[in-house]
Amino acid sequence: MRDWLPFEAELIARIDWLIRLRWLAVVGTAVTIIAGALVFPGSLALVPLLSVTALIGLYNLQFSLYLRTLKIGPAGAVRLRHTTLFAYVQIILDLLALAALIHFAGGVENPMAIFFVFHVIIASILLQRPVSYLVAGLASLLFAAIGGLEYAQVIPHHPLPMVGREVYREGLYLATSTTVLTVTLFLVAYLATSITGRLRKRDQELLESMQVSRANSEELQKLNEQLSRVDEERTRFMVLVTHELRAPVSTIYSCLELALSGYASPEKAREVLARAQNRATEMLGFITDLLSLTRIREQAVQREQVPVTHLESVLQEVVELMKIEAERKDVFLGVECAPDLAPVRALPDQIKLLWTNLLSNAIKYTDPCGIVQVSLTQDAGQLIGTVRDTGIGIAAEDIPRVFDEFYRASNARLVSPHGTGVGLSIVRRIVEKWEGKVWVESESGLGTKFTFVLPRADV
Amino acid sequence: MSAKGDILIIDDDPDFCEVVKTTLEAASFSVRTAGDGLTGLSMMREKKPDLVFLDVIMVSPTEGCYVSDEISDDPELCNVPVVMVTSVTDSKYIGLFPTDRPLHVDLFLDKPVPLGKFVELANRFVRQKQPPA
Repeated sequence: MRDWLPFEAELIARIDWLIRLRWLAVVGTAVTIIAGALVFPGSLALVPLLSVTALIGLYNLQFSLYLRTLKIGPAGAVRLRHTTLFAYVQIILDLLALAALIHFAGGVENPMAIFFVFHVIIASILLQRPVSYLVAGLASLLFAAIGGLEYAQVIPHHPLPMVGREVYREGLYLATSTTVLTVTLFLVAYLATSITGRLRKRDQELLESMQVSRANSEELQKLNEQLSRVDEERTRFMVLVTHELRAPVSTIYSCLELALSGYASPEKAREVLARAQNRATEMLGFITDLLSLTRIREQAVQREQVPVTHLESVLQEVVELMKIEAERKDVFLGVECAPDLAPVRALPDQIKLLWTNLLSNAIKYTDPCGIVQVSLTQDAGQLIGTVRDTGIGIAAEDIPRVFDEFYRASNARLVSPHGTGVGLSIVRRIVEKWEGKVWVESESGLGTKFTFVLPRADV
Repeated sequence: MSAKGDILIIDDDPDFCEVVKTTLEAASFSVRTAGDGLTGLSMMREKKPDLVFLDVIMVSPTEGCYVSDEISDDPELCNVPVVMVTSVTDSKYIGLFPTDRPLHVDLFLDKPVPLGKFVELANRFVRQKQPPA
């Protein structure tokens, strides 16, 4: 039933109920007729009455078979149309059958005329509001027609044995009972359609609110998943940070303990204190890097408020600082900048951090007599910076992870055992923050080339 | 004076190695250090030590566990006592330790370890191994 239109499913269920109700009516009518015939033998039009009852039974059988084919048929608008038509046919046939029964059992004298009420109610349950009024109108017309035609003796009158006086010939009675029935039927139509209309409206509202709450809960679930991802990320970050901090602190602690313990000679004590100092300096650097990383993460800046920065002037500044280290290591540091470079929209401090990390890495992992070459160019939309070195390179399996926080390639550990693995994640964060991209190409043992692009501020 | 015993430290932190080495040498042990698991294993095969201090997380988070497995699989080395030293106490890393088989580890230590503890353990394990005549 899942693919059915809601109204279609409801209509089919109600027709099913109507068919079962009709079986009851058939049995009830047959029993009443037979009882009447037994109590008042020879006075009832037994054959026409039983024929009409049998006819109702016959068409009800047809209906139940047809309903079965409707149920297994393909759902959709076509079936809804067939089902609606099916409902009309049933209501009309029922009206005619009741009219026939009334005609063959006393006409306007038969109190069963009030049963037309059921048809009006059924129409209001099955179909739309105007149909109920139509049914009420049609039933009133049928009743008036029976009364009128019998009154005018166009059709014969079949008297009821229990009604002593034949009132069907009394014009006033006829007019009154027709009016009363008509008013009753229209009132019932009004009441029934009001109630079913209100129920339908409430059903619709319920359905809509269910859809809304389902959509809300899906949205909530998505938000929840996002939150737990952020939380996981934060926890992972905390675990890594505490591990990275705990290791050097415990080494510094051991160094100090050794210096104080008397296990070591004064010279040895000095040496381990110097080691402790180095580790403390490295830790300070690490903490500074962590702060930078967090600041880049947290710093929310309005795009309009961001100053334009010239990559090449920041680069010159950083190169001046890095030259000393490059010369100390005997690494050639070359810079090539294209003329008339456009600025980018980014905080100058962060651009400085970007260049510093890329250059210091390149110098750190390049052997003496190696080359570090920096270039800066632009195309129609962006500035392109590259830092190429002839250093140790990065193994293919490490490349996808070099920008991860705290990740260090295995060969990087051999060159510098205490690196923090934060530098390149700072680089990536800065570039991504200013809507750029950064990537790396490298071959183990041959060298590495980092490339980043940042959008031009003038386009 | 001849050394009381031969001790191998496998740890990727050279400062830590140096500190423990100095401490144990002051207590008359002969000490060798290795910066990674494979170097440590080859040093053990070269000369079987009396005790190994082994870091857990080196280049890979389970390098120490790998070394301890190699030691227990090697008939020559399987009776060498192993003390695992690590700064990992976070429950996040507990899952990294294999639970389906015993690790060849005699003791776990959590960094920072008081230096006296290294001397005490070295004395205990070396004495166990070479009972005085």
